[in-house]
Formats: sequence, structure tokens, C-alpha cells
Amino acid sequence: MSKTMNRWLLGILFTWIVFMSMACQKENPNKLTSEFLPLEGNPLVQFKILVKVGSSNDPTGKEGLTQLTFSMLANGGTKAMTYEDITKAFYPLAASVSVRVDKEMSVFSGTIHRDNLEKYYAIFKEMLLNPGFREDDFNRLKTNLLDFLGKTIINNMDEQFGKEILSLMLYEGHPYHQIPAGSVETVSGITLEDVKAFYKEQMVQGNITVGLAGGYPADFPAKVTADFSALPQSFTPQLSLPAQSLPQGLQFIIADKQTPATAISMGFPVTINRSSKDFFALWIAGSHFGEHRQHVSLLFQKIREQRGQNYGDYAYIEHFIQGRDKFPSTNYCRQQQYFSIWIRPLANSNRHFVIREALLELKRLVDEGISKERFEMVRTYLLNYTKLYAQTLNERLGWQMDSHYYGYRDFLAEVQAQLPKITREDVNRAIKKYLNFENVYIAVITQDGESLKKALVENTTSPITYANPNMPNAVLDEDKIIESYPLQVKPENVRVIPAAEFFKKAGLPR
Amino acid sequence: MLKFISLGLSLFLFLSFPHPLQSSEVFPYNYKIEELENGLKVVSVPLPNPNIISYYTIVRSGSRNEVEPGKSGFAHFFEHIMFKGTKKVPRAAYDDFLTRLGAGTNGFTTDDFTCYFTIFAGRENLETVVETESDRFINLYYDEEMLKTEAPVIEGEYYASVSNPGRKLEEILRDTAFTAHSYKHTTLGYLKDILDMPNQFEYSQLYKKRFYAPDNSILLVVGDFDHNQLMEYVRKYYSSWEKSNYTLVTPTEPPQKEAKRVHSPWPSRTLPRLAIGFHGPAFSDENIDKPALDLLAKIAFSPSSTLYQKLVLKEQKCLTLDASFDDARDPSLLTFTSIIKKDEDLPYVEEEIFKELDRLKTEPVSAEPLAEVKSNLKYSLAEELGTTDGVAGILAFYLNLTADPGTLNKLFGLYEKVTPEDIQAVARKYFDKSSSTVATLSEGKTQ
Repeated sequence: MSKTMNRWLLGILFTWIVFMSMACQKENPNKLTSEFLPLEGNPLVQFKILVKVGSSNDPTGKEGLTQLTFSMLANGGTKAMTYEDITKAFYPLAASVSVRVDKEMSVFSGTIHRDNLEKYYAIFKEMLLNPGFREDDFNRLKTNLLDFLGKTIINNMDEQFGKEILSLMLYEGHPYHQIPAGSVETVSGITLEDVKAFYKEQMVQGNITVGLAGGYPADFPAKVTADFSALPQSFTPQLSLPAQSLPQGLQFIIADKQTPATAISMGFPVTINRSSKDFFALWIAGSHFGEHRQHVSLLFQKIREQRGQNYGDYAYIEHFIQGRDKFPSTNYCRQQQYFSIWIRPLANSNRHFVIREALLELKRLVDEGISKERFEMVRTYLLNYTKLYAQTLNERLGWQMDSHYYGYRDFLAEVQAQLPKITREDVNRAIKKYLNFENVYIAVITQDGESLKKALVENTTSPITYANPNMPNAVLDEDKIIESYPLQVKPENVRVIPAAEFFKKAGLPR
Repeated sequence: MLKFISLGLSLFLFLSFPHPLQSSEVFPYNYKIEELENGLKVVSVPLPNPNIISYYTIVRSGSRNEVEPGKSGFAHFFEHIMFKGTKKVPRAAYDDFLTRLGAGTNGFTTDDFTCYFTIFAGRENLETVVETESDRFINLYYDEEMLKTEAPVIEGEYYASVSNPGRKLEEILRDTAFTAHSYKHTTLGYLKDILDMPNQFEYSQLYKKRFYAPDNSILLVVGDFDHNQLMEYVRKYYSSWEKSNYTLVTPTEPPQKEAKRVHSPWPSRTLPRLAIGFHGPAFSDENIDKPALDLLAKIAFSPSSTLYQKLVLKEQKCLTLDASFDDARDPSLLTFTSIIKKDEDLPYVEEEIFKELDRLKTEPVSAEPLAEVKSNLKYSLAEELGTTDGVAGILAFYLNLTADPGTLNKLFGLYEKVTPEDIQAVARKYFDKSSSTVATLSEGKTQ
């Protein structure tokens, strides 16, 4: 029997033993969980340490603490090694540890070639299990976070700025109320002692899922599990979130700054997440209306393709972070979700028209639903497109972890099973049940915000012009409808705030 | 709590190749190259990765080809036009086709080439993809009105990055460092040229005729298919594509005689930025200069380097410190960049970078960091080659340069040969302060 065959059999035997022993084990919320995806022969190994703690776990007045604490693990030294030592040790291995914090979960990730697995893991585990918490690392990372909040997000990345303002609007007074980075005031007040205490409280077994994928040796999962089992046995209960409610009417926040382009994000809470049986029907509606960076998106077709007004226009039925070029990133699981529309930057002169255009298309979606032809096309599209979602080890393991968070054995397999059963009526029922066009939060980054406010409140007609003097009559006729489409905007529902005022304190500027 | 373990099909979904990693054969896959009579090169890399195929068309025309005044950004604009469809498969039908296929599709433009990719599942779909893609390259159809409608999208794309100071810094650095060569402008182009794109219908036809031809293109297919079957489809659908026989002459950049400096004020609070550019050589998998400069840049500016450790970690003057040197068809810029935490530290960081470059001229690097950089490059590449689309994405860049996947192994063979003396020699040859361009950006009033 070949060596390869022996390794195969050994791997399968080991997996079976672990599976059976764990399946017989009574669930203990104080102990860690694990996710293994063994891929014999793969030269790479993917690590993912998922921590069911996110920015919603930040204590009031310490918003940004999760982000800063976990940055100290991924970008700081261990008890034995300075961060300088770690960067030097990682460099020849082409290795790193990254961390990402969301509202309810955070994830540490690293990919390593199997040649270097032992060297890498020896440092990786120390970074998470025995962090050094040095003053110089703390000062560096805290300053970086403050610079991001006080300068970068407001002045260097308008699209992200718009999305974060929408997030603040969606979750005022809610545990999701602050962006993970926190605010200048709250981060300024965080001490190294706060960080150490938060680590001790939250890096406990019951909060952690150890994830491994790729060509690791058969006995490696047991070693990693044993190492992380040294953490205290405890867990943080899942947050009990208040019911979400829709905004009352169209509510605008305009961040005013000097800029030639306007960035727009809009949205409202939806009451389901991926675990709901209605999710698949609503997903078809979302893909039809605004699939991320794909031509199938109706908004993309109307705003970009027919009118050339900007680079792209998309819509989502759950929190979406762009991973690679096209596909959704993993490990952003949330109990509560929201619907959003992302209008990419456009000339300031077209902003009023495009706000109207997006809201009118949303109204048409809610009123008219999806056509039979589009329903069948988009359903076929999703059945095929989702086969591309999990290509890298990171994606494969991420989707596996997210599947289990939402109660599926394999969500992408569930897509193949469920979508063929969905009917057009299911989709239109879901649209009516979960979407609306009258109660929407709208975040706008633009210049001369007061003039936009005036135009919105007074429902001023907003005609646009084209470089093409021979635009199709169908487009021009529709433009006539859009430019005077009445939006019910009350003056008290439009706040114009200087961009520099954001993120100074937790929540929206007062 | 219950542990979840996935087995089954996932065991077979990933690429595997021998490890430990061999130093001389970093690209471990078999490939084939064929050329049709019309000059179209076809590179195929069949992989044991079930069901996924990456289909790339590489047109060897990028912003480098924008040699005429007023045409900056045109390669990128034409990338957009390429999605307008044909008489046989108009845009809407093309979109329907891609939608039903569930393909991930897009294009991108670089200094040297424009690339169109379609990633899809199912080898049974290969023939329709070959047929549809060949149709749009051979029979693209658009009228002046379609072009005029598409042009403002480029303006929108410009706006999408208008709040990014990194883009502004790159714009002013290139514009100042180059005087003649088309690397003077970014791929997006100058705003004044973008605003004039609606009026460029006639030029667009000329551009297509010159560059969108089989003798200027490479077809790259990676994934789950049979090579002979692929070639049968390619011959059937691409043979009627007519050659261009056009030869581009790019202006030669004259040697820079004096140090240059340029500054851009940013209208709101921002971390200051610094970029220092030097004129370097074109890509080569035969000459040692470019590989030696690649290694030098990493030894001196990577996170494990002395300067990074000092400026970013110990003194904490900088948020980032980096070096970039694109593999380019013509001599391009070797650029050192930094995001600095305080305006007043800009001169200090600039001085430290120049001091480090001077040190490299006089002190040979030691063997240890040289070996570490070589190791880093190999393992970084191995990670990128981990999926079908990773293989295609990497190969597309190198095929643009040499039309030969073997260039990767040749390049890494050269990396292995680079000595401390080679690094000292290229430092002396290329880092003369008089040929440098310093670009800075910081908060301040705009004109």
C-alpha cells in the first residue's frame, strides 16, 4: 500500500474517531468548538480562530475596545517575542495574522505553506494565547485607530464613510450602535489595563471556534484543540437584541465636505437573517435588484448602463463586505440584518436625480415584484454563481463556519437544494413582507449639503443632462417621471452635519 | 459542543503539488501553448480542480499604448466598450448569457494590457463560452451614441477614487517623473481626457483596429477541461479573427538629469504621504537588474527590514512604508511610499529613505536577509497559486510580458542567482538622487 494511501486511511480514521467522540460529548457552552476541513495533499493550511465577540460587546464609553484589544493580538508582541521579532520571523514564511472585528464576531486568520506549519503555529498560538500587551504596541495601535477615526475615514474614503453613517443611523440606541473602530473620544479613553481586562474576560473557550483547513497532518487538530483548551472555561452569552423598527419616513443625514462627487448609501432593517426559510426568496429579490458588481443588477442596468451616471449601483439583503472582486466575505454573521443600496460616487449635479431614481426603482420592486422571466433567470444565475463562492481555503472554511452559525450543515449545498423549490410567488411575497420604499435611512456625502436639503424638502424638479444628444426616448421619457418623482421629505428628517463632526463621539453627532 | 467536520467532495476540490517547495520550479503545473495562423496564442493549463474554469483574454494594450496627446485613459475606456455586444449577441443578450451561466465576469486595465475574464462552473459550458467570447472580440458592435452613454461611467469611476489621496499621489508622481513615455499618466487617465471621451468615437474605431487583434492577444484557459477539446473550439471560433500587423512605437523616456519635486495639497485633514520614484528597467527574465532590484526593494522596505522596524515599529513615525516596482514592458518607476503620522516628520522620513538607499550602495547586504526575501517570494507565490483563478490571475500578468508561462520559473531562477554584489551594483546604477522624483501630499489649501 502506498504512503499516500496510508495517510488517507489514517486521516479518515482520525476524523471518524474525533467526530464520534465529539458527537457523543454533551454540549458544554463553556468549552471551545472546532471546525476542520482536511484536504489531503493541499500545500497550504488555513487557520481561522473565530471569537463570538464583536463591537457590540464594547462597554459603554469604551467603544472601540474589541477592535483595539484584538489588534493587540494580531499586530502586537507575545510574552516571549516583541512584534519586531514576530515580523522578522514571519517574513521568510510569507506569513501574517490578520484580524477583523464585526458587530457580533471577530476572526483571526492566517494562511501558511505546509513546509512552515510548525514554525508558524508556534508563534500564532502565542500571539492569541500569551499576548505581550506591551506599552509601545498599545501606543502604536491606539494612535493608528485614532488617525483612522479622526482623519482617514472622513477624508480619504467617502464610500466607506457613507456606509458607516448608514450603520450609525440604522442602530441608534441599539447594541450595534457604533462602528467597530469606535470613536475618537472613546478610544482616547481606553487604557492598556482596559485591554488586558477585556482580553481576560472575552478570550474564553466558550467564545471560540478553532478552524483549520488544508493539508495539515492528521494529528494537528488535536494539538491545536488542546492548546486552545488552556483558555478558561467560560462564555459570553449571545446578545439579546431589541426588535428592530423601520425609520419613520425618509430620513437623511448629509455629511457636508468639499468634494466633486456624491456618495450615497441607503437602507432599513430587515427582520430575517440567513437562517430564515424566507431568506432564499428574498435573496433572489436582492440579486435581481442589485447583485454586487454584476450586470444582472437592475439598479446597475438603470443607473449605470442606461444612463452612465456612475460606476456601479448595488443592493444587499444582509450586511455585505466585498471580498476579492465579487463574492461576499465570510465571518460577518449577525443576528439582525438590514437591506441596503450602495450608489457609487457620482457628479454632485446628479445626486438628487439618482436618489429619486433609486427610491423609485425600489417602489416599483415593492409594488410590482419580479417578473416571471427575471425570476427564472436570476434563480438560475444564483444556482450557478454560488458554485464560485468558495474557491480559496479561507473562503471554504469561512462558509463552513457561517453555515453552522445559521444552523445549516452546508449553506452552499442548501442553496442548491432550496432555490429550485422557490417560486416567483414566494419571492414577491417576501418582497412585500420585508422591503419598503417609504421608510428608509439615507446617508449622503456631498458638498453644499444645505442646497440638497432644500431641494429634497421642496421636492424641486431635478432634470439631468447627457453627453449623448440622442439618448433613447424610452430613457428620456422615464427621466421625466424620475426628475419630478415626489419624495415625502420632512425638514426635520434631514440633518446636514459637517463631515469632520463624525466619529468624534460614539453614535451620531448631536 | 459538537464539532463539525466536512469530508466528502471537499477533499478533491483543491490543487495540490509537491512539497516541500522546490526552489527552481515555482510554477508546478503542466501547460501547453499553441498559436493559430492568425497569430492568436492559446495557453492552456488543465488542472485537477473539478468544475471550475477561468477563461482569460489578454489584449496586450494598456495605458502604455496611449501615446497620442488627449488619449490618456483610452485603453481603460475601451475595456468598457468591449461589453457592448455584437449584432449577433447584443449587450442585453450577452448579459442574459452570463447571467444564466452564473459566471463571474469583468475586465481590468493596467499600464501594459487589458484583461477580460469569465470564471464559470461546468466544462459542458466551455464551447458556448468560447463561441460567445470570440464573437465579441471579432464582431464587437457599438455606435456613437452607445459610446457617448458609456463615457460618463469613466467619469464616475474617477469620482469613485477622488477621495483617495493615494491615487492623487500616484498621479502627480508619474506626471512629474516622466516627460515623454506614456507611463506618465495613470490607467484612469487625466480628467480632461476623460471628459472628452464622448467625442472619441472615430478614435475608438482606430484603437480597436490597431490593438484588438489576434496578433496582439493571448487566450489563457485554466481549470477543468481537455486541451484538445479546447483547441477544437478555439480553431472553430477564433480562426476568422483578422490580424492587425500594427506596431506600436512608444516614446523613449530621456534620462532624468535633475532631481524633481512635486507637492499636492489635500483639502481636509489627512495623514501626509510621501512617494519617491526612480527610473528602473523594464521586466526581464534574462537580465539580472530587475530581479536584483525586486529583492533590494524587499530587503530594504519589507516589514522585517531595518528601516521599517525603525520608522514604523520603534519610532512610530510612519503608518506604512513600502516599495513597489511593477513588472512592466518598458522601463518604469521603482517607487518607495510612506504614509506618515505627522506633517513635520515628512522631511525626516524622506531623508531616512535616501540614507538607506545610499547605504545599499556602499554596504553589501548580508546573506541572511537575502535568503529570507527569496523564501518570502516563493511562499507568497505558492499561496497565490492555490486556486484555479489564482493560477490564471498570476499567469495573465506574466503572459502579457513574455507570452510564456515558463517565464515565472525563469524569473525565480534569476532570483536564486542574485548575490549581494548584484544588489550593490543595481543600487549604484539606479539610485542616483539626480534621477529621483519626490512627491508629497498633505493637508492644505488647494488652488
